Amino acid sequence: MLQIQFFSLLRLLLKQNSMDLAWVEGDTVQTVLDRVQKQLATPFLHKLLDDRGTPHAGTIILVNRRNILHLQELQTPVANGDVLAFFPPGAGG
Amino acid sequence: MSVTDAERYARQVLHWGEEKQRLIQQSSLLVAGVGGLGATVSQLLVRAGIGSLYLVDDGCLDWPDLNRQTLYGEKDIGRAKLPLARERLNQINAATRVIELPGRIDDAFQPPAKVDGVADCLDNYRSRFALYRTLADGTFFVHGGLHGDNGQVLTLLVGQSQPFDEIFAGARQPLGSVPVTPDSVVIIAGLMVNELFNVLWRTPKLLDRCLVVGLADFSMAFLEV
Repeated sequence: MLQIQFFSLLRLLLKQNSMDLAWVEGDTVQTVLDRVQKQLATPFLHKLLDDRGTPHAGTIILVNRRNILHLQELQTPVANGDVLAFFPPGAGG
Repeated sequence: MSVTDAERYARQVLHWGEEKQRLIQQSSLLVAGVGGLGATVSQLLVRAGIGSLYLVDDGCLDWPDLNRQTLYGEKDIGRAKLPLARERLNQINAATRVIELPGRIDDAFQPPAKVDGVADCLDNYRSRFALYRTLADGTFFVHGGLHGDNGQVLTLLVGQSQPFDEIFAGARQPLGSVPVTPDSVVIIAGLMVNELFNVLWRTPKLLDRCLVVGLADFSMAFLEV
């Protein structure tokens, strides 16, 4: 099982803090995202990815606390039990 | 006017005791940015009796600042914030040594040799990343940021925690101004100061643990980093 966590504006948009998702052999961040979107009524992938399907700035994606931009981005492998967090941090001060 | 520390700090010492008060008065902190977050963070630290406060900023006061930058008023428009902040803080508590470090924070920034912690009250990620890279190992870094009525506070220990610029890689700096309200800024600043006290007392509660605050529904959540 995977734990998916939503923070800040994503949590408000989706009206939930987290969800559990069954892990599938060979999962990557990309395949997990696709399955998460299928299970949710509210479209949210556009908040994370641009028209070409690549991550755009705004939301940081962490797999077990590590930013995927320092791993293999959307192709980062995901193992059973992993925690994926999606967080659009505030920039103002 | 002469006042004893016992009298000045009486109400907070009732809460946290004399030992913690002594630690605050013996400590020094760097507050990076004296805008929205920094004006209130530095003000609360001075009211609490912090020993020394290093302030960094390169901005001048403009009208859109007045909704949330609690150290300044209409007569200050156009003036540099840094000397204004020092002047106002000195009026609040002359016992705190306030040191101005004028300039913009980039990779050439040289932080004070010895501070007990750094408050990231900056308003952009480029400067935040640069600030973090200049800090010596063992420095506590308390980050605050917000957008609308969402914000976050996080503590990192330089050299031990994941670097700030790695965790926040891909964080967006929006084009134009970030929406910020008086209440949200003061709330995030208050949480930062609470954590800065914890840092001074060597009991940080948000070390490698980002507190994500949502005022739309009064929510708080932790993101482990």
